[in-house]
Amino acid sequence: MLGSIYAMVGVAMTLSIGILRFLNFSIPALFMIGGMVTWALVHAGVPWPVAALAALAAGAAVALIVEAFTWRWMRGAGPFVPLVSSMAFLILFEHLAVAHWGSDLQTMPQLFGAGADWRVGNLVVSIPQLAGLAISVVMVAALSLALKRTQMGRALRTIAEDADTALLLGVDVGRIVPLVFLISGVFAALAGILFALNYRQVDPYMGEALGLKGISAMVVGGMGNVWGAIAGGMIIGLVEVLSIDFFGADFVDITVYGLLLLILIVRPTGLFGGAEIGVRA
Amino acid sequence: MSGYAEGVLVLLAINVVLAYGAFLPVAAGQLNLGVAGFAAIGGYASAYLSARTATPVLVAIPLGGIAAGVVALAVAVPVLRTRGIYLALATFALGELVRATILNLEVVGGAAGYPVPAYIGLPVIAGFAVAVVVLVGLLFATRFGIAITAVHDDERVADLMGLDVRAFQIAAFVFGSVIAGIGGGLYAHHFNYIEAQYFNISMSISIVLYVLFGGTQSVVGPLLGATVFTLLPELLRASAQWRYVLFAAIVIVAMVVRPQGLVTAALVRRLLGLAQDFSLRGRERPA
Amino acid sequence: MSAAPILVLDNVSKHFGGLRVVEDLSFSVRRNSCTGLIGPNGAGKTTVFNLITGVYPIDSGRILLDDADISRVPSRRRIHHGIARNFQNIRLMPHLSAIENVMVGQHCRNGGLFGNLQPVALFPHNRWREEARAALAEAGLEDYERGVVRSLPYGVQKRIELVRALMAKPRLLLLDEPAAGLNSAETGALRELLAKICQQHGLTLLVIEHDMHFVGALCDEVVVLNFGRKIAEGRPDAVREDALVKEAYFGLDTGLAETRYVN
Repeated sequence: MLGSIYAMVGVAMTLSIGILRFLNFSIPALFMIGGMVTWALVHAGVPWPVAALAALAAGAAVALIVEAFTWRWMRGAGPFVPLVSSMAFLILFEHLAVAHWGSDLQTMPQLFGAGADWRVGNLVVSIPQLAGLAISVVMVAALSLALKRTQMGRALRTIAEDADTALLLGVDVGRIVPLVFLISGVFAALAGILFALNYRQVDPYMGEALGLKGISAMVVGGMGNVWGAIAGGMIIGLVEVLSIDFFGADFVDITVYGLLLLILIVRPTGLFGGAEIGVRA
Repeated sequence: MSGYAEGVLVLLAINVVLAYGAFLPVAAGQLNLGVAGFAAIGGYASAYLSARTATPVLVAIPLGGIAAGVVALAVAVPVLRTRGIYLALATFALGELVRATILNLEVVGGAAGYPVPAYIGLPVIAGFAVAVVVLVGLLFATRFGIAITAVHDDERVADLMGLDVRAFQIAAFVFGSVIAGIGGGLYAHHFNYIEAQYFNISMSISIVLYVLFGGTQSVVGPLLGATVFTLLPELLRASAQWRYVLFAAIVIVAMVVRPQGLVTAALVRRLLGLAQDFSLRGRERPA
Repeated sequence: MSAAPILVLDNVSKHFGGLRVVEDLSFSVRRNSCTGLIGPNGAGKTTVFNLITGVYPIDSGRILLDDADISRVPSRRRIHHGIARNFQNIRLMPHLSAIENVMVGQHCRNGGLFGNLQPVALFPHNRWREEARAALAEAGLEDYERGVVRSLPYGVQKRIELVRALMAKPRLLLLDEPAAGLNSAETGALRELLAKICQQHGLTLLVIEHDMHFVGALCDEVVVLNFGRKIAEGRPDAVREDALVKEAYFGLDTGLAETRYVN
């Protein structure tokens, strides 16, 4: 089930919305970069742990580039601007990937043998997927803890409440905002890497096909709510599985996006409501 | 005219139409990230009409637009209750939903796409594009234009001045969707083939980007945005993918340098003598 | 001339959460009068305007306009009943020129759905544009007609906003601190303009102001609010001597507060 993947992308997006009030459309691109770079390096003979780390580094670097062009030089230029620039980055990276690698689906070699599955009754649980889920949960728990306990976390929460007041209080907004982008980027890239390692099929459009469902996870869980995003991701994953069982594989997107639309209209604060990070507008 | 030049102009005309489809909701203050979905509805509906019924193409295309408008109207009332970011996301979800639904409609080919026998060339397409530009231009020259801009600028005050804000937003959304639907119909009948996968979020985002790039405060903005988007890569001999990379890079730089877009209302009006910027006059008495 | 007041607030209350912003407020505004609504900051004056124009629904009580209960009328329709207003911090539409902003004020008179299709920009001498032009000229603003509003001087913007409200041909005009930010010359000019408008158009004015000289010179009557309640009303010179008013403004302890505030 793709739930943990959606959850991680959802967390990445919810951080941006919660702290920076900014819908970061470049995050699905970072997801794609994580996956494609992992594949490209493994394909070139690099051992997968190294490839994964390199892909993570690439994601982080790109996240910082995006920060420079959506946030750093743009404050005060108008509320739509960062959103627009982040959308442009999505287009940029997606087509850059197609230009560089072609638009075909690429397959990763089998990295974990068939023995890497647990059989629990009728259920087959893939250990790599479970590991992926475990990593996601651990990282979000760490993040959650950091937000609550550390000074950095307090600073982030202050910015979420009011960026101008945060500045007045001496919070180094200029250094912390890139941190938010970095963390989001790492979560998104990691999701892409885990996807590549587990599901083994990547292509330049995976950001659109899968990464955007992270938006659904974010909305379902409540924008700005980090644990909500995890729950949201699992719910979307579950909805997909159920939808395939009941309606067939072709209906998956209809169900997922129909659900997203419904939630936005009927309960836009999500199932678990508002923000853990700062005060929601 | 060479086949190459003709191809570029066809693309330009279609992009202009799509641009105005996205422009209308933006002019009322709303982002429609599902504009490609409405183009798809228009494309498929007009293709079905011209292929399966005896409808002439020149009638089928506007009817396709109307089909898109009807769907937009049905959805507008609940969707336009949301605001800002929620609205943008709702329109995005809507676009994806439309696409996923079409992919399941075997009657129009499903995932395999739908062949469209009737063909239209540059003259017809250019005709539609000109008609759209003129009609939108005329619309904005009426009180509707003032009302839409008022709604865009300050909903609260517009409401207190007696404007039905929701009605104007719905109208802009629906008219925009009709125009997008016509764009889809033009595409389908020129390339004689239509597939839902083409009308994805990437397309919606691209359209919105060149509309915003062209400037949303003047009726001329979308025309300029579509032109830059279509012609600049041709001038630089960029291939298909690099066109998008180049365009995205330009948008990113433009957002740093001139975020309000290429053509602002202020700029156009000053150029046409319709407006005066008094802050430029210093201490002089206005002449 | 009818003797009935044009506006009556009857035991109107409004609270936000636990905060009672307006409490059992009752006053009436005499037709064709110039009435002031005064009180210290935070007394609830702008909230009263927001209640009269329908921005917020009232929690209890009634608002009557010419004996018609408009308490439930949606905000969009109240201008059709003849209520127009300006705003404490100027709210002109930044993407419309001065004359177009004024034309927004005409919207409620433009004849409904198809009235929206009147081509006002195509033919420069159509009647709506001419009417707006004349109104701007009457206010001395004809030179600023095509101005980009954000580039215009503060005093000019304030006057444009006033003209916009007048374009709706209201019966009752609510002005929220119309003299704020103006120098003494501009304030004098504004006072004359308002007095002229009041007499010529048969309009009733309800004005929130802090400038007591302005209020004293312009208004026949004032209503004084404090903490969301009315503490005095009457002619400006009489009210100035009222003990409670003095306490509210100057903090003098007259001991009369308890008799009025305690239920």
